[in-house]
Amino acid sequence: MLLLDIRNLTLELETSQGLIRAVDRVSLSLREGEIRGLVGESGSGKSLIAKAIVGVLNQRWRIKADRFHWCGVDLLQLPFDQQRKIIGRDIAMIYQEPSKCLDPTALIAEQLHESIPNQLLKGGWWNRARQKRKKAIALLHKVGIKEHQSVLESYPYQLSEGVCQKVMIAMAIAKNPKLLIADEPTTALEASTQAQLFRLISSLNQLKGMSVLLISNELDSIARYTHRLSVLYCGQLVESGETARLLAQPFHPYTDALIKSVPEFQPDLAPKSQLYALPGSIPTLQHLPVGCRLGPRCPNARKECVHTPALERKQHHFYSCHFPLQYKEPQ
Amino acid sequence: MAKFQWLHQKTEHGPLSQLWDSFRQQHAAVVGLMLFGFFSLIALFGPLLTPYDPYLQNPDALLLPPSWDDLGDVRYLLGTDDLGRDQLSRLIKGASYTFGIALVTAIGALLFGLLLGVLAGMSKGFRASAFNHVLDLALTIPSLLLAIIIVAILGPGLVNTIWAIMLALLPQFVHGIRNTILQQLEQEYVIAYRLDGANNWQILRYVILPNTWEQLTVLFSMALSTAILDIAALGFLGLGAQAPAAEWGLMVADALDLIYLSPWSIALPGLLIFIAVLSVNLVSDGLRTAVRKRQEN
Amino acid sequence: MIWHYLIRRLFLLSFVFFALTCFAFSLGHLFPGDPLVNFSGISQPDDELMPVLVQQYRLDDGYLQQYIAFLQRILQGDWGLSLASQQPVLHELKLVFPATLELVAYALLISFVLGVPLGLLAAIKANHWSGRAISTIALLGYSLPIFWWALLMIMLFSIGLGWFPTSGRISVLYEIPAVTGFMLPDILLSGQTYWQAALQDAIRHLWLPAFVLATYPTTVMIRFTRDAMLNVWQQSYIKTARAKGLSRSQVLYRHGLRNAMLPVMRQLGLQFSTLVTLAMISELIFSWPGIGLWLLDSINQRNYPAIQGGLLVISSLVILVNILMDVLHTLFNPLARKQANG
Repeated sequence: MLLLDIRNLTLELETSQGLIRAVDRVSLSLREGEIRGLVGESGSGKSLIAKAIVGVLNQRWRIKADRFHWCGVDLLQLPFDQQRKIIGRDIAMIYQEPSKCLDPTALIAEQLHESIPNQLLKGGWWNRARQKRKKAIALLHKVGIKEHQSVLESYPYQLSEGVCQKVMIAMAIAKNPKLLIADEPTTALEASTQAQLFRLISSLNQLKGMSVLLISNELDSIARYTHRLSVLYCGQLVESGETARLLAQPFHPYTDALIKSVPEFQPDLAPKSQLYALPGSIPTLQHLPVGCRLGPRCPNARKECVHTPALERKQHHFYSCHFPLQYKEPQ
Repeated sequence: MAKFQWLHQKTEHGPLSQLWDSFRQQHAAVVGLMLFGFFSLIALFGPLLTPYDPYLQNPDALLLPPSWDDLGDVRYLLGTDDLGRDQLSRLIKGASYTFGIALVTAIGALLFGLLLGVLAGMSKGFRASAFNHVLDLALTIPSLLLAIIIVAILGPGLVNTIWAIMLALLPQFVHGIRNTILQQLEQEYVIAYRLDGANNWQILRYVILPNTWEQLTVLFSMALSTAILDIAALGFLGLGAQAPAAEWGLMVADALDLIYLSPWSIALPGLLIFIAVLSVNLVSDGLRTAVRKRQEN
Repeated sequence: MIWHYLIRRLFLLSFVFFALTCFAFSLGHLFPGDPLVNFSGISQPDDELMPVLVQQYRLDDGYLQQYIAFLQRILQGDWGLSLASQQPVLHELKLVFPATLELVAYALLISFVLGVPLGLLAAIKANHWSGRAISTIALLGYSLPIFWWALLMIMLFSIGLGWFPTSGRISVLYEIPAVTGFMLPDILLSGQTYWQAALQDAIRHLWLPAFVLATYPTTVMIRFTRDAMLNVWQQSYIKTARAKGLSRSQVLYRHGLRNAMLPVMRQLGLQFSTLVTLAMISELIFSWPGIGLWLLDSINQRNYPAIQGGLLVISSLVILVNILMDVLHTLFNPLARKQANG
């Protein structure tokens, strides 16, 4: 069964200049046990989609979708507190700057204990504190923190970003969520810690069967750890499919440009050659192009591109482009 | 597909007009600004507009109530005091004292504070930290107490009051400006300028000062409201403006004995002080909110 | 590490006290009149006494020796005589100071009890009419000149409605011996037969001045708490806590309050000095026999030793409270502790 089934999600913001459509008809689906990547430059709306799923967008945003189902339940139809109950029970999220997500005046132990729901504890209420403590230590070990004592007794400012992020993951998996949304979890970390964290998420996915929605703008790490990938540009879904297939044969010019711009994916890149990049830059929210938003920068753009292309499908590979790149024979 | 106003070109406004836009959207702040303007005009031109001379005593018209009362006289719109002086004229003249002098002291404190604050913020080393400690010390003594002390030493009188209050307002300015400058110095664009080869003076003039004016206006508005209250309080205590000056606080003190006979002699000057301070506070709040909104965007 | 910080604060405190005494000492020379009279308070020293005093106060030596002599006298408790009453200044201060402390303490209590919950409410319901109403009332109260407000209250409640007396601490009918100097405890300790009536009377006298004095700190508390809470509510850790599934009120009390109170506490220290000044003016209007009234009278009477003494006490109080608030803030704030050590 599909865990998350979103069709044509549109997020619009009310501003003094009118309604700005930050996310334009994006579809996303997630199966149990899979790691889904959501890739795109900053400003592509990835974080907005994540926030829309978890339900923390403020009132100025208008959410419209043809389908917004979680485990078969339509989230948009539910009243607010029911929504929050379901989301709170099944979905967990970790963020970009982990040290800012921890209360600076509370000990880690306190915050970790808070994330452990009472229902998962065995034993009566008199035992609760001890049970929570045991579980907290177990959680820390699961995320790879061995010196649980010193971490539990510290304040957030005393810990490094990498440890903070591991604590955030520990808090997230405490309630055994079905889905973990990781919103650029490694941006603030050093390279070695980044690798550690991705491995951790991957192992949690394999061992516990927890689905992960991994949002990032680093194509190389996403490529290694995700099963399926969605590429966003400027609020529009550009391409989506199995990671390996997508990277080997992109249909959309933007995906192609992304791949070409990452040196790690170009084995025969000559030394001292120019790195590839699309001309121009991301349009501002106030000046979004009509139709396909890659239009002004796309090397293949033609007259038809002022109409937003529909989502087309080739086997399990989705793309929305009027003039997709030709199907290349596998080498 | 929705139609957008994609032909509508919004020109990018500079920080000043952004600030003004944010400010303008807060109705209360705009009302405050209008009142502030009103008081400033009265303070400047009021003495030319008074129906009577504020010091002219009319022994035939002592303690007349305001004109809407039965015993009042419409020639003396707001009544007279116990020496027969017209209240309206005195209140108008009082604007020059309480409001006008508060403006002068606040501006003076701003200028001196800017100088000292820049020195404190830009210099490093032992001198700077010693100065900062002294500054923190000076912050702990309330402005009014400091003003009272200075007046106690120098003796009462308006000129001494001005110096006293200016001195008392100084620490707030210096502290605020110093903090802003220190914060600015940590910004990366300052480092960029330094790498370009700018020396301290150039950084100060071209980078730091243009970025501090917002904070300066907020500090100024807060200092102004303190100044008005302090001048009125000193006048009330008899340490500030001396009789027969028509300062509002002094007018309240003069009317203290008449609290049973003519309550309006106390109510009216105090009401004007209240409205003046309120207008400055409205503007101050509006400015702070506008600055915060602009920085969030 | 925390001891280092405390010791540094103690050093700062002593340094500040020294600076204060220096300033107080200099006043003796800055005030008009004969320094000898200013220091000793003896308005007419006879010819025998003069050289003794000059010797004692080291007035013939340089300023440093004079200052040292001054400091010794202060520490020994010889603060000179009041020019007006020719009584020892320290003795008079001991009588009037507790009265001010009592008034200020009750005002602060009211401001906490009223200000913090109202400020929180104003922050939570910031867009609702109730939140806006609270903010507006706070702004109005913040702009009031206290002497006018006090007089209005007197005109309304004392003269108009007759509910409260206009002045004093307690009716002259009651004779309460001063044990602690604080009126309410003293009444309870006095063991007089009519102590209940005296208590009621004292409270009636206390009510209006405390309320008027509490206006400013309450509005300050409301404004600061509201601003701090609005700021905290935007932070990432609040959103994380909500995402954990905690309810709004749980997040508010467990994470919001603690973080919001920190800047409020620090501001409170800074506002205390304003409170003391306002207390002085209130004492004048309500004829409350506290140090403020005493100091103001001394200033009007040019009673220099008294001014010196009063200034020393008031400034010391303000500085002490400030440093106390600073220490408390650092103790409760893990981030500040990090900055204190680093």
